[in-house]
Amino acid sequence: MKYSYIRPRKKSILTSELQLLFSFFSITILMLFLTYFFLVFKDYRFEQNTNEIIEKKANLEIEIQQMKKQITFIEKEVLLAERITTKNTILKDSISNLFDLVPQRITLSQAKLLKNGLILYGITPNKDVYNFMLQAPLRSIFHRTYSSFFPTENGWLRFVSTNYIDEDEMSLKASNEDKKHQEEQVDED
Amino acid sequence: MLSKIFEALYNKVFISIVVERSKSIVYVEECSGKEILNTQSESFATTELSDKMYEYIETFISQTPFHYISILDTSNEQGAIPTCSSKDMSLFYDPSLSKHICHQNRWAYYTLKSNIDIIKYNYAKIGIDFIFSPFTILSNFFKDKIDSNLAIYILLEDNYVSIAIFDNSELLYADYMDMQHGSDSEELMIDESSDDEADLDLEGSIDLEDIDAMSDIDGLDDFGDIEDLDAIDEIDEFAESQEEDKKVLEDENLSMDDVSGFNEDYQRFSLIQSSINNFYKDRKYNSKFVESAYIADAIGVSGDLKKYLEEEMFLSVFVRHIDLGVEVCEMAKADLK
Repeated sequence: MKYSYIRPRKKSILTSELQLLFSFFSITILMLFLTYFFLVFKDYRFEQNTNEIIEKKANLEIEIQQMKKQITFIEKEVLLAERITTKNTILKDSISNLFDLVPQRITLSQAKLLKNGLILYGITPNKDVYNFMLQAPLRSIFHRTYSSFFPTENGWLRFVSTNYIDEDEMSLKASNEDKKHQEEQVDED
Repeated sequence: MLSKIFEALYNKVFISIVVERSKSIVYVEECSGKEILNTQSESFATTELSDKMYEYIETFISQTPFHYISILDTSNEQGAIPTCSSKDMSLFYDPSLSKHICHQNRWAYYTLKSNIDIIKYNYAKIGIDFIFSPFTILSNFFKDKIDSNLAIYILLEDNYVSIAIFDNSELLYADYMDMQHGSDSEELMIDESSDDEADLDLEGSIDLEDIDAMSDIDGLDDFGDIEDLDAIDEIDEFAESQEEDKKVLEDENLSMDDVSGFNEDYQRFSLIQSSINNFYKDRKYNSKFVESAYIADAIGVSGDLKKYLEEEMFLSVFVRHIDLGVEVCEMAKADLK
């Protein structure tokens, strides 16, 4: 019930000293919370970055594996290319040697290189020139040599020379040569 | 909610300031809930907030934030009126300049707004929470009598006299008087009104038998006075026989004190008498014949005042001692509820 002419002043436990104290405390707590949230955010970002890096690392490792496979494949290709180049060089030398075998009086019109043989088409003045100057070296290279002739209009002879190398004999020869080498080495020891 | 919890945790300190003629009494009550833990009272020889008084109050208000400082309004421009209607209030005072509180929607007490501001300004250093009217103190103090009696209720302070006439909780009349300001004029009024009072007594519907009985008592009292005079003479004779001038001087001093006490009591009586005359005469008030008086005595008046009221005004007088500091504290507690 109201008896007084005036209303009592509002009472508060917060004196000016307490207000100051609370304001300092609240500022400190606010700063602590801000620091905490900043650290939490940084931690989250750090974890996120770590995950990203781990993911990148995994991807890179996969890429490295793929690249290693590619390198292996390329190395194989290089080896193959080198082998082919070597083979080609050998083939080139063989062809060059073959053409060196052909005398000047015989003219080659076509040559077919087979896997284990050689077919030559050409013109020869006569059979003797062919037999002595071309067939003899061919026989020394190939195991089997077949020749066929047919005359041309000007009296010369067209020939077809079919030459084969037997692979079985080649392997036997090679094994024999290896044995010989081994024996020689044993003798030397 | 939170403030109520803190309020329960802290002790409450109620400080009441009662300004008297030349001093201020500060009463302090320390409470925990409804239990009173400690009470203290200190008198300061100042009517304003002195440094000592400030330091004394500061020691208590610094203990708890829940401290309430109350003061008893002692401004001259205050009073109480028998209405709560704003239309009727203008008959008694200027409502635009005053602040009033309506009590139980039956009567109101008021004071000047400027006085409230002055009190607030004077005690700005400590702050004031409650300003109470002496009439609300009076009505609260005689709560048990007001409800069932037609009587005059008087609050006697050191320098002020508050009068209220209640008829079964209805205020009929109220007056607030300053003994210093109104002394000369009131005395003159008493002289003038003495005849009127006699007329009033004659006009009033009093049984003649009662008057006779009272006059008989007066006669007896006069006889008692004669005996007293004899006794005084004997004392004088004894003093003369001893021939001690110092003692005579002391007696003179004592008699001077008695005279001043006598004067104050008579002055109070005169003020009360003139005020009651005003109540009977003024048509603004619904005048009824008052037979009994209840005095709340805050200063410890002598029996003379009671005797005057009983003998001169034929009132049945009942005196009850009042500690204004305690009562103001009680009012503050009641206001907070």
